[in-house]
Amino acid sequence: MGCDQSVVAVRTEADGERARLVPAGTFDLAHASAVVRAVEQAERNLISNGDVDLHLSALERIDGSGALVLARLIDRLEARGHRTRLIGDDNSNAVRLITLYRERAADARPKPTPRIGPLARFGVVTAALPGTVTSALDFLGQAAAAVPRAFLSPRSVDWSSLPRLMQAIGADALPVTSAANLLVGLIIGFLGVAQLRRLGAVVYVPELVVVAHFRELGPLVTAIIVAGRSGAGLASELATMQVSEEIDALRSMGFHPVSWLVVPRCLALVITLPLLTWIGDALALGGGLLATSAITDLTPRAYVLGTAETITGAHFLDGMIKTPFLGLIIGLIACGQGLAARGGAAAVGERTTTAVVLAIFGVIVISAVFSTLFTLLGI
Amino acid sequence: MPASRPHIVVEDLRIGWGNRVLMEHVSFGVERGTTLAILGGSGSGKSTLLRYLIGLEQPMAGRIDIDGVGAPHVYSGVPPFGVLFQSGALFSSLTLAQNLALPLTTWTSVRGPLVEDFVQAKLDLVGLGAFAGHLPGEISGGMKKRAGIARAMMIEPDLLFLDEPSAGLDPISAVELDNLIVTLSRNLGITVVVVTHELPSIFLIADDCIVLDKEAKGIVARGDPRRLRDESAIPFVHNFFARSSPSASAAGGR
Repeated sequence: MGCDQSVVAVRTEADGERARLVPAGTFDLAHASAVVRAVEQAERNLISNGDVDLHLSALERIDGSGALVLARLIDRLEARGHRTRLIGDDNSNAVRLITLYRERAADARPKPTPRIGPLARFGVVTAALPGTVTSALDFLGQAAAAVPRAFLSPRSVDWSSLPRLMQAIGADALPVTSAANLLVGLIIGFLGVAQLRRLGAVVYVPELVVVAHFRELGPLVTAIIVAGRSGAGLASELATMQVSEEIDALRSMGFHPVSWLVVPRCLALVITLPLLTWIGDALALGGGLLATSAITDLTPRAYVLGTAETITGAHFLDGMIKTPFLGLIIGLIACGQGLAARGGAAAVGERTTTAVVLAIFGVIVISAVFSTLFTLLGI
Repeated sequence: MPASRPHIVVEDLRIGWGNRVLMEHVSFGVERGTTLAILGGSGSGKSTLLRYLIGLEQPMAGRIDIDGVGAPHVYSGVPPFGVLFQSGALFSSLTLAQNLALPLTTWTSVRGPLVEDFVQAKLDLVGLGAFAGHLPGEISGGMKKRAGIARAMMIEPDLLFLDEPSAGLDPISAVELDNLIVTLSRNLGITVVVVTHELPSIFLIADDCIVLDKEAKGIVARGDPRRLRDESAIPFVHNFFARSSPSASAAGGR
């Protein structure tokens, strides 16, 4: 912004015992730096200790910023003991503006926020930990209490939202989870062929696909996708409701937010995740078929026969039994995070991110727990 | 610059979406340095009209011209006006001081301690001097509005659009804000377009007003609000300014 320096100046003149300051030129935001420099220069040039007159007749243009700088100048002069006078009979606008900025200068100044070092920051997070754990347990308690309440007073739950939730969480996720499961089946197929071909045991690949996918990878991959998709969706929906006072409104009308909102969402997840996993399992078999047909001499018929021989209820059920629990953990984490949001748009973003991360991690933890359990029980 | 050209010219504006027309044949002008109030019942489209005036949406038909520059939907360089949105629309992850500093550091060459001085002074003007370090989530709705007005004034624009500036403020803060608007308007020659329902505000700050009506889909009355209050023959307009409701008086009210 090229401003002509000579356009902005504050002339200092002596008038007997009084000093006269004459700001001249354009005292506006575009010339703010020049204005400040001119005013500082004038202050330094001021030698007398007597009264000061500020003449405003030479001002070509003044706006809020210029008025502010002159107002602060007068404040500083008066603080140093000079008596000041504003002379602007032909520029009453400027006089009123400068007076406005002087009048409205508040005595209260905000306290500067102390900077905290990394150690103190760590301390703050640790100190907040018990509170976080307590509120998490509190939420779990409320969720547990909501289950009998759903039976005893069914009107405490928003059942009418269940179809739409199942559509959004289940049906809308089907393309993504199906494609993912198909590709994972393909990957297991390629992996299996690569390893078993060395032993001449390619004929065991179908069994590998069944066992690996049905028992572990199918539920895990499907749950991770749903955790990302619906975890984000549910957390951001509830967080936005929280910050726009909708949750408060529900409570003021006698609803329990956990019963009304969280029960249908968890139920939708518990119902749809097994279905998504089931369909995913079927598609994974197709993926394995593609893989073996592409790179081995194993005929599709042989693959299908191999699969049919090894597919057992046990493999299928051992995988499926995890899915309602995976759905539940996604629901509880996403809804819990959403309801814990405080603040504005930034809080919604934070809670959504935390929900997705925790939900994915939770899904992996639950899968690991089940795997360990089944191995120990010899199932 | 010819002094006679109005600051804002709106000609035969039609606003709507798809098949739905919200208002049409809307024409008015705003002279430089005056304050126009946009009034109307709820749902009449006042805030919507404001969105079109500031260029957030494109009208179905008609022309909006600000300062002879033409339609305001292409911004290049310093924004020619400041806007107050209905709830303040402060950025919730920044403190008040950071919110106000943003237009200053983006569009001017002001830097360093001078930025803080300007920010603090504007906050003082609206009575929020002690809250510069607060986040928007930590202050009340009325305070957010006041901070929003301060932010709209940061780059010293000569045109301000205010959406319900004193709604939700206590009477003292409301009258202080009105006085501030009047002072800025008279002493700096700022043109102000205000959407408001607050009658005391309207009579204090508005030089001119237009009254919108949802059923009429356009402007039903315009002029000096005091004259409209005293002389208007249109029942809706008369009731609006006299703060009376036909059903209340029919039910044997006061």
